[in-house]
Amino acid sequence: MTVLAIARASLTRLVRDRTALFFLVVLPVLVIVLVGATVRGFSTWKVGVVDEGAGAAGQRLVAALDRSPDLAVDHYPTVRAMSTAIARGELNTGVVLPARMDEAERGGSRTSVGLVFEQANSSMQAAATAVAAVVRAEGVRVQAAQFATAQAGGTFATNLSQAARLEGRLPRAQVRTVAAQASSSILPEGFSYAAPTELVLFVFLSAVAGGAATVETRRLGIYERIVAAPVRPRDVIAGETLNYLVIALGQSLLIVAVGALAFGVSWGDPIAAALLLVCWSLVGAGAGMLAGTLFKTPEQASGIGPVVGITLGMLGGCMWPLAMVSPVMRQVGHATPQAWAVDAWTALLARGGTLATVLPDLAVLAGFAAVFLLLATHRLRHVLAG
Amino acid sequence: MGDDVLRCDRLRRTFGARVAVDDVSFRLAPGEVYGLLGPNGAGKTTTIKMVCGLLDPDGGTVTIGGRPARDDLSVRRMVGYVPQDVALYPDLTATENLAFLGRLYHLRGRELAARIDEALELTDLASRGGDRVDSFSGGMKRRLNIAAGLLHHPALLVLDEPTVGVDPQSRHAILERVDSFGRTGMSVLYTTHYMEEAERVCDRVGIIDHGRLIAEGTRRELVAELGQKDRIELAADGDLETLAAACRRTGGVERASVADGTVQLVAADGRRTLPAVIEAAEHAGVPVRSVDVTEPDLEAVFLHLTGTALRE
Repeated sequence: MTVLAIARASLTRLVRDRTALFFLVVLPVLVIVLVGATVRGFSTWKVGVVDEGAGAAGQRLVAALDRSPDLAVDHYPTVRAMSTAIARGELNTGVVLPARMDEAERGGSRTSVGLVFEQANSSMQAAATAVAAVVRAEGVRVQAAQFATAQAGGTFATNLSQAARLEGRLPRAQVRTVAAQASSSILPEGFSYAAPTELVLFVFLSAVAGGAATVETRRLGIYERIVAAPVRPRDVIAGETLNYLVIALGQSLLIVAVGALAFGVSWGDPIAAALLLVCWSLVGAGAGMLAGTLFKTPEQASGIGPVVGITLGMLGGCMWPLAMVSPVMRQVGHATPQAWAVDAWTALLARGGTLATVLPDLAVLAGFAAVFLLLATHRLRHVLAG
Repeated sequence: MGDDVLRCDRLRRTFGARVAVDDVSFRLAPGEVYGLLGPNGAGKTTTIKMVCGLLDPDGGTVTIGGRPARDDLSVRRMVGYVPQDVALYPDLTATENLAFLGRLYHLRGRELAARIDEALELTDLASRGGDRVDSFSGGMKRRLNIAAGLLHHPALLVLDEPTVGVDPQSRHAILERVDSFGRTGMSVLYTTHYMEEAERVCDRVGIIDHGRLIAEGTRRELVAELGQKDRIELAADGDLETLAAACRRTGGVERASVADGTVQLVAADGRRTLPAVIEAAEHAGVPVRSVDVTEPDLEAVFLHLTGTALRE
């Protein structure tokens, strides 16, 4: 019961601290929204359109591009203006709708839609592929209407409407992408990237900065008062560990819930994800307690703690994927627990990883947690011994 | 002797080469208020920490209620420790702080609530239980600090300089409370470097200096050791150390020391010695502004025993 009393007092203090609550609750959600929105921006391609007099056919194609969830259409007066926007990176690709396109379609002749993009740029290639898919689908409907008009009569407009209706009734072929190599560097996109990396970053950072509370308890002489009561040092240590663990788990669950409910993040295999959360919360608890026994003043903990957390987060792949950095920096990054946690989340979220896939990462994280907790226990025992 | 609430036998504690407490022995009977009187750094707090189990002695034993204090957690339930600094969470209310500390002594539910009310009542804080501690004045914090030590009805209350930094009104309130604790049967171990406090609330006083208990007894017993001696307090303009040295060379003056901007003397017969002291001061070039001759008190005892004033 004394263990619970110690944890309860610390948690009550935390609930009173509005600044701590901002960093624990509000800031992580804000950052997830910002980073998620930024990263998701890369999969929504910006497409420029120049209409040189394509008529109704051109308007139909623009409408089809607009309906595509992956494309955002913007209109340009000339090909030159659109090319400049592409060169500046304001657009991922451009579409040129030729003059008299509508007449050509109705007359049953061929017509070409121009695509403008940089061959060497992979994101522009991807955008052009997405645009080409929309153009191709529209072309199929036009070809069907042209064929029906030539063979069975009727107007082109009527046959085109009929082709669109029939298309909706035809069975669709489903395409499923499966990662053939589980250890590949495929990364989750958008919020599925932001939420787990921010979870790893903020749980650790908050725990280390939260060491300020332990420093204050120490400086106020409250540990001395606790030890003067019929309380064993191991109960004090257990109470403090429980306090840090509850905070870390609470923050983790909040981020998981916000990610899943507000941003549609799928956290992968539930058992593996739960174990990963527990392991990471233990790492945070150990780091927080250690910070609380190492720093001399609360100001040091709340000032230096976040710097330590952010630095380890940068090295460990919370700010950018470790796939982007040099092999040496990747190795350096894996000296931090963050890298192992991010690896595990990446495997779960982007590659359909299971418990077996992330077991090595969990083992390493458990090792980090054990080391942090042992060091913190040793230091706290020293503090309690006066 | 068998009924002693606390017995300290030949306690010794060192920090590196420095001997903080050396061969200190004393005992407390039920309901007795015992004062450890000594200047800062004399070894009072180290002694108290050994009594409360916060420091292990290098030598000697502490027995509480007839049981050795060391490694026996149940003995700690008999002790209420009130540290020198206010050891409370400033961002919790008075009631929350007391509830937290009460739970450490295995108090629960209604019993805990009743003890909290009682402790707040005893320290005149009943109306402030729901307020955060950081909104309290220094004196109120000190009183709450004491309330926290009373929650579990200890047989022995250990107060480490509870009036340091407290305004006169709060000090008076604290001393009144301490005085009343003894009457309820609770033993109190009280450390202070204020002679007036020791004289006012303590049944017996142990004088401690440089880690050693140099005298012990009731005020009357200690003062009697001085015999017919007086304490003279001289206020003067100029170098007080020169004046003290001049006084030491004067016949009849046994001890001379500088403290609190005055020169404190112990003399066999104050009124007879005074003219020679005034003359010595004139010769030393430090003319005396005012003189106060008082009956022997604990301050004089301390000066007599150590050669230095208590607050030097």
